[in-house]
Amino acid sequence: MKRAGFTSIWLPVALLLPQLSIIAIFFYWPAGWAVQSSFYLQDPFGFGSTFVGFENYTDLTANSEYMRIAWFTVVFTALVTFFSLSIALLLAVKADKVIRGAKSYRTLLMWVYAVAPPVAGFMGIMLFHQHTGPITDFFKALGWDYKILVDYNSTATAFIIVSVWKQIPVNFIFFLSGLQSIPRAVREAAMIDNRSGVRRFWDITFPLLAPTGFFLLIINITYALFDTFGIIDTLVKGEPGNNPMTLVYKVYMDGFRGNDLGGSSAQSVILMVLVLVLTVFQFRLIERRIHYS
Amino acid sequence: MARTQTRKPFRWAPVFDHTILILGALFMLVPVVLAFITSSHSAVQIAREGIMFTPGSHLGENYSKALFEKGGFTATIDGMVMLKNSLILGLGFAIGKIIISMMAAYALVYFRLRFATFAFWIIFTTLLLPLEVRILPSYEAIQRLDLANTYTGLIVPLIASATGTFFFRQFFRSVPEELAEAARIDGAGPVKFFIDILVPLSQTMIAAIFIIMFVFGWNQYLWPTLITTDEGLFTLVRGIKQIYQTMIDANSIPEYGQALALAIIAMLPPVLIVIFFQSWFVKGLTESDK
Amino acid sequence: MNFFKLGAVAVSAVFAGQAALAETEITFWHAMGGQLGETVNQVAAGFNASQDEYKITPVFKGSYEETLTAGIAAFRAGEQPNIIQVFDAGAATVIGAQGATIPVQDLLADNGIDFDINDYIAGVRYFYADSDGKMIGMPFNSSTPIMYYNIQALEKAGVTPPATWEEFANVTAPALKEAGYIPLSQSHLPWIFTENFFSRHNLQFASSNNGYDSNDTQIMINNPAIKAHFSALVDWKEQGLFEWYGTGWGDNAKPFEDGNVAMWLGSSGSFGGLLAKDLGFDFSATMLPYWEAVTTEPTQTFIGGAALFAMSGQSAEENKAAAEFFRYLTSSDTQYFWHQATGYVPITEAAYEAAKADGHYEKFPAAEVGIQQLSLPAGEFTRGYRMGFYVQIRDVMNREYGRILTGETDVESGFATIEAESNKLLERFAKTQG
Repeated sequence: MKRAGFTSIWLPVALLLPQLSIIAIFFYWPAGWAVQSSFYLQDPFGFGSTFVGFENYTDLTANSEYMRIAWFTVVFTALVTFFSLSIALLLAVKADKVIRGAKSYRTLLMWVYAVAPPVAGFMGIMLFHQHTGPITDFFKALGWDYKILVDYNSTATAFIIVSVWKQIPVNFIFFLSGLQSIPRAVREAAMIDNRSGVRRFWDITFPLLAPTGFFLLIINITYALFDTFGIIDTLVKGEPGNNPMTLVYKVYMDGFRGNDLGGSSAQSVILMVLVLVLTVFQFRLIERRIHYS
Repeated sequence: MARTQTRKPFRWAPVFDHTILILGALFMLVPVVLAFITSSHSAVQIAREGIMFTPGSHLGENYSKALFEKGGFTATIDGMVMLKNSLILGLGFAIGKIIISMMAAYALVYFRLRFATFAFWIIFTTLLLPLEVRILPSYEAIQRLDLANTYTGLIVPLIASATGTFFFRQFFRSVPEELAEAARIDGAGPVKFFIDILVPLSQTMIAAIFIIMFVFGWNQYLWPTLITTDEGLFTLVRGIKQIYQTMIDANSIPEYGQALALAIIAMLPPVLIVIFFQSWFVKGLTESDK
Repeated sequence: MNFFKLGAVAVSAVFAGQAALAETEITFWHAMGGQLGETVNQVAAGFNASQDEYKITPVFKGSYEETLTAGIAAFRAGEQPNIIQVFDAGAATVIGAQGATIPVQDLLADNGIDFDINDYIAGVRYFYADSDGKMIGMPFNSSTPIMYYNIQALEKAGVTPPATWEEFANVTAPALKEAGYIPLSQSHLPWIFTENFFSRHNLQFASSNNGYDSNDTQIMINNPAIKAHFSALVDWKEQGLFEWYGTGWGDNAKPFEDGNVAMWLGSSGSFGGLLAKDLGFDFSATMLPYWEAVTTEPTQTFIGGAALFAMSGQSAEENKAAAEFFRYLTSSDTQYFWHQATGYVPITEAAYEAAKADGHYEKFPAAEVGIQQLSLPAGEFTRGYRMGFYVQIRDVMNREYGRILTGETDVESGFATIEAESNKLLERFAKTQG
């Protein structure tokens, strides 16, 4: 924490100014606007409005559907985070281990990172298509009457698979970096001490990867909460019907699509508070990690 | 770790490892390969049969249409124009973000500022509110600044989030303190230290962030759609959405072949950048991770 | 084959002509992607070529919702376009904000253009009008739900297209099932089986004259007739007489296009797309069936799709230009071109007559069904509905209907939920107008 500091006063202010002013205009002003709007019900064009106090909030908490969406969001986030982290970790460990073709595997596993979410969703639509999708055929062959967009769980499954698919490369890259930064001496010592690969992984590698893992955990949670928006929107084709959705998608549905500024602002504020708690948590973890390393 | 290979006749472990990696690679790649194969078919064919497993005969047609067919009201928009706009958006966003966030991170880490922690938190909380949620007021701000229909208006609001600053702050804090100490003893000022020592030192980190940000900017959809009315500013992802919209409206056959061709084209520049910068990328992230 | 190209030639030379100097330029934001967008461009180019005082520039702004929200954001910032396309479910939002738009009827009158609402096809007239019948938005891409059928399938089963749901349940569907088909699917439960169900049977859909007379509106969806209809759907689905493939439009149309479903309820505007797909069987269309048990005098349906609104806050010259564009748009030539190229119904009687005179319906009989249905006798509750936050109300309907059809809930509690949540939304909307 005690970094040797330069003493200039105006220079750091000048350096911070661009970032702070952009943030003030495009973040704090909109955020303040959202908080204010959440206490009103207003005509989106700006003609009429009524102050309603906390009604936008109480309407949400009283709505069993909103609670169901919140619950789905929690489950969805947990599953996406778990699968994208564990699959990426498995692949990273193996890619770190093999001798032959290591570089090719690395390339192949990384480049999906660049696919745009609507494009990922578009491919998802084709692959999971009710009538022509090969994955649908595959699930049917396994005896599961898979029907995306009709059956809640089928749609949820598609959300999760596409979201995990999209997130694996990022996690893979970070895990691989983490693995490669483990000192050679530590690994070789572990080799001698313990011949079982599995034990070696859990006893030595996994604890050393924990900081990376914690960091990724938060990154993945925010991914599942916010950045899966494009995938969900594309998969349900903008009409969720009886299919699951996440809280951010609900904000979009009510605010952007339905022009309910008050209601969606209240939802945004709830989300902000939620993520603020998460961020404080994340911040603490990362800072602590830096201290001990 | 390689050297501990044994004299045993055959080991199953590597086979197992490769199997997992091959399965993983297939899982990641097959959808893209199928999209590519499907992009070689006609729209009617795709509308009827969905994903295709064998190549068709419309490859050249779909791609040349996607790239060169003039569309839009002004009949000046083709894939090349959209490609250019996407590149400007991706590059402008990545470069702008790197410059602004490096400056901010430098100020936060290397100066004794009374309000450093406060400033950091101010910047950091911007992770909380994705653009989708703050889109209406952001639009109003852009209009008041008279930036609608400009590349600046397209790029700047996207920069208002903390990711870059956060990464750079982490990285700067891992740079040995002695460097700044030595620079000061040598009489180098903060600007000289920043440009001559810190920036070259950050190369790999810059490369990594560049890729992440380029891909992010490249993939934007909602914001460009909302604020641009000038067809000359349309991006590739928007071009894809425009065709895709037909699929939802379902009034005519969407140009599936062309949409997939555009999707593949839209994938190429970021993929090439990722592959090209790959080794830097991994290294950069590793260093930030110390 | 590709009849979309028909009108293209007429306007293809437009870009050669250079613009005159003192043109008034106006903008037009729309949500028509793909082929439809191209047709919009052709109409706009045709207008620009037809005179040299005004120049219109159409801009594709994404989906209907994205277009409306972009328009709202622009309006708040004082940068609104002259004309914006707003879809049926968003009508209450844009019309409720009085002062955001200029009623087209006033716009035309102020600029010396004759307007007589009786020139328009009956089912088109009052959806986008106010409670006094003044037209606020100009119907643009107008369509209405009709029933398409596979001619060969019906022949094979030895039946004719059903006029009533009783006939469907007792005669048509069992025969089609026997012949190896899934008898029926539909593509939009709120539009086809709710809004137009009420109109077809002349049932009241919401209080205050279906919502037109006041913002203090209650939805009247908890009606025995529609509940009986959904109970029948659940039974039919169990017996294999009806199938539901989710909320997506195309997902329900596809099995019909593949020849597995014999009859499909879609939009009168779907006709062009079906034709272009070269289905491998012949199809035709008939009107939306009705329940004889509910009414013996079935009434007209109303239009879906979207309308064009002139946004306020523009100069007199630009308003004049917008009015001239509407004049051009509603001319019978433009309407017939639009009708042919897109499959949407022509909005004026004159354009309908022109299409008839041209023999269009002899070539494509299915293209006429929508207009005929819109021209059926009107009733007290057939003009449409005007409800706020209707996008969300449709979301609630889609959700509960989905649950009813997948057995997650039953008809009675599904409709109770829709009623309660919709009324809550309407109550909230009323406060936004306060």
